[in-house]
Amino acid sequence: MNIIEIKGLKKDYPLGATIVPALRGVDLEVGEGDFMSIIGPSGSGKTTLLNIIGCIDFATSGLVSVGGREITALNDRQITDIRLNKIGFIFQTFNLIPVLDVLENIEFPLLLMKRSAAEARKRAEKLVEEVGLKEYAAHRPAELSGGQRQRVAIARALVTNPDIVLADEPTANLDSVTGASILELMRRMNEIEKTTFIFSTHDANVLKYARRIVKIKDGLIEKEPVAA
Amino acid sequence: MLLLRLSLRNLLRQKRRNILLGSAMAIGVAILITANSFSHGISDIMFNKIMRYVTGHVAVRFNERGGVMREIFRDRQRVWDAVKGEPLIEEADEAIGTFSRAIGNGRSDNIMLIGVDTRKTLSAKAIKELEESFRMAEGKWEDLRRTDVENPVIVAEEKARYLNVKRGDIIRVRFRSMFGQDQAARLTVVGISRNDNIFMQGVVFLDRDRAKDLLGFRPWETGSINITIKDPQKNARALADRIHSRLRPGTAIIYASAGGRPAQVLGFRTDDANKEKLKGVMKLSSGSWDKVLRKDGVVLPAALARQLGVSAGGKIRLAYPRKFETAPREAVLTVTAVCASGCPGPAAVLLNDAGFYDLYYEDMPAGPAAGARTFSAEGPWAELLAPEWVLLNRTNNTDDYKKKYQDIAKNKWKGTTIDVSTMYETASDILKMEGVLNLITVSAVLVLFFIILLGVVNTLRMTIRERTREIGTVRAIGMQRRDVRNMFLLETLLLTLFSSAAGLLLGFAVMKGLALITFHPHDNPLGMLLVNGHLYFLPTFSGVAGSVLLIVLIAVGTAWFPARRAAQLSPAKALGHFG
Repeated sequence: MNIIEIKGLKKDYPLGATIVPALRGVDLEVGEGDFMSIIGPSGSGKTTLLNIIGCIDFATSGLVSVGGREITALNDRQITDIRLNKIGFIFQTFNLIPVLDVLENIEFPLLLMKRSAAEARKRAEKLVEEVGLKEYAAHRPAELSGGQRQRVAIARALVTNPDIVLADEPTANLDSVTGASILELMRRMNEIEKTTFIFSTHDANVLKYARRIVKIKDGLIEKEPVAA
Repeated sequence: MLLLRLSLRNLLRQKRRNILLGSAMAIGVAILITANSFSHGISDIMFNKIMRYVTGHVAVRFNERGGVMREIFRDRQRVWDAVKGEPLIEEADEAIGTFSRAIGNGRSDNIMLIGVDTRKTLSAKAIKELEESFRMAEGKWEDLRRTDVENPVIVAEEKARYLNVKRGDIIRVRFRSMFGQDQAARLTVVGISRNDNIFMQGVVFLDRDRAKDLLGFRPWETGSINITIKDPQKNARALADRIHSRLRPGTAIIYASAGGRPAQVLGFRTDDANKEKLKGVMKLSSGSWDKVLRKDGVVLPAALARQLGVSAGGKIRLAYPRKFETAPREAVLTVTAVCASGCPGPAAVLLNDAGFYDLYYEDMPAGPAAGARTFSAEGPWAELLAPEWVLLNRTNNTDDYKKKYQDIAKNKWKGTTIDVSTMYETASDILKMEGVLNLITVSAVLVLFFIILLGVVNTLRMTIRERTREIGTVRAIGMQRRDVRNMFLLETLLLTLFSSAAGLLLGFAVMKGLALITFHPHDNPLGMLLVNGHLYFLPTFSGVAGSVLLIVLIAVGTAWFPARRAAQLSPAKALGHFG
């Protein structure tokens, strides 16, 4: 069953008097539990595609269905609810909340969902253990290394048991060893939690972790490569 | 809880910036509270330390026969009944005072001789206020009750210095009694008072009953009444209206006997308008209108004249029981005319109002004897007969009040006028000063707040700019716009509350410090704004809470727009923000 269905997706950005097309008619289907990579050079439209799938940006035209729900006609409140309940994000620059410690960062989405503090804390503690940061639970992001921060970001993305986790260049700011460990972790979490992972990269070394690869160039999906 | 935790931690994140802004706010709150408390202090001084001793919050004033100095009402109980029973009244005192020429040791000067009620029991609050307003440099207030010396008085320090008198010395005074007779008296200085209020620096206090005695009051007579009330700004006018409504006069009647027959002696009004009406109402069978209108004659109804066997030019003997003394009052009056028709009653003896009031006020009549026929004015006589007194209309401001008294002077009232006034009429100039001070305070505060507003907006704009990616992150994770907006509003609210708390402490410390400074204003009018030579601050709960609420509302209101703009940011754009 497909968790994401995209048909004829176009996205234009106005740049002064001109319109720059970022996506020029993308068709894509993503199945439940996939571990998929979107690859392509800088400016090819990877981030734009992830942003639209993640409901943080809007399509100029086309249809986008997430978890069986067409998102292009929803209002901001509904879209925000989808982001909270269905989607987890992992950012290239980690984007942790600096004033919260590791556990607090991880439980943050659960508290937004109005879960009880005890329940949120229990779930966060489980995840912090799974990502191997139990001894850093009380540390603030500034006290962690890049790899540790990305692990926290992964735990935060998974804490709500989302249908989809989107990761935009999750290893771009990490050294190769740390990057590999992060991808290992993502893959392991994919297997444990059965969550769909879609991550963008332009690093060929990362591709070996993906079970499915989608190549995008100049705003169009070029071909469906084989699984790793 | 989540938002509160985030907001609190974010506040601590930019410590330096927030401490700077918070300090500015705290100083603002401190200035606001200090200014507000000073303004309240001035109000308190004006309403409770100046007005209460000068005019009272509400005053019931009497002027007999239009005489400005003749502040007397002949039936004390009658008028005090209209005042008593009001729960708002804290104190009601007779205002007994007169200007006198005082001769001390080799020097003389004008003084204001003021009677003080030394026999009443004062509340702790009243004693405290009295001591704040009139500190005793020498002697005690109780010394005014001394009987071993002649007319014991307490003299204001400045006046004692000028007259070159000290405790135990004699001051000779010349003054006019309530009835215009020149009098002299010897006063013994038993105390010296110290007062920063310029209005009180020329006064000499003596016991009120002694003062009344010197001025010619009899025990059943009263001087004007000064009333001190609770919350005067709110209640003065309403209370004055109520007292005024209770003082509506009836027709003045002397139940007398004329030649052994019962008669009602009435006064008729002799102002120009009523003279003509009188001629239209009453027909004379003998005598002339010229004589009727004279002060010393009476008009008898024809039946009574026949019974008494008198006609115009004859004399009748009137006698009536007095209200306050046992012996009856007797008078022999000339009959100036006999009324053939239109008389106010078959036993009504009419007297010109000037002559009538001479009798009426000098010896207040008792009411009708038990079982005797009572009189009630009917038809045109209801307007033509002299009332017990003239109740002046209520006024609202000093201008109307002045005009009212100019009219009194023009009209040459024969009867006693009663005027019920409030501080808003008698001392509006003093009250205007309070308004000016408030205006200055508000202006300063507005400037201050404008500066604070700029600080809040600027700080929040910087904060939002720095945290744009963070806003994008929390929005991407699933925080609703409303929560993002509230997070920034909560930060501002917390900063304002912490700053207000610091401002409160600072404000109270500043007030405490300023109140420690001693001023020596001497004869500077601004000295009246001091209490015992110190600045006087009166913080009130509503003033303090209002100041904090004002700054919170302004700060949060100012933060609303940048916070809303932050909440409206597109998550994708916010995440892509650099800088």
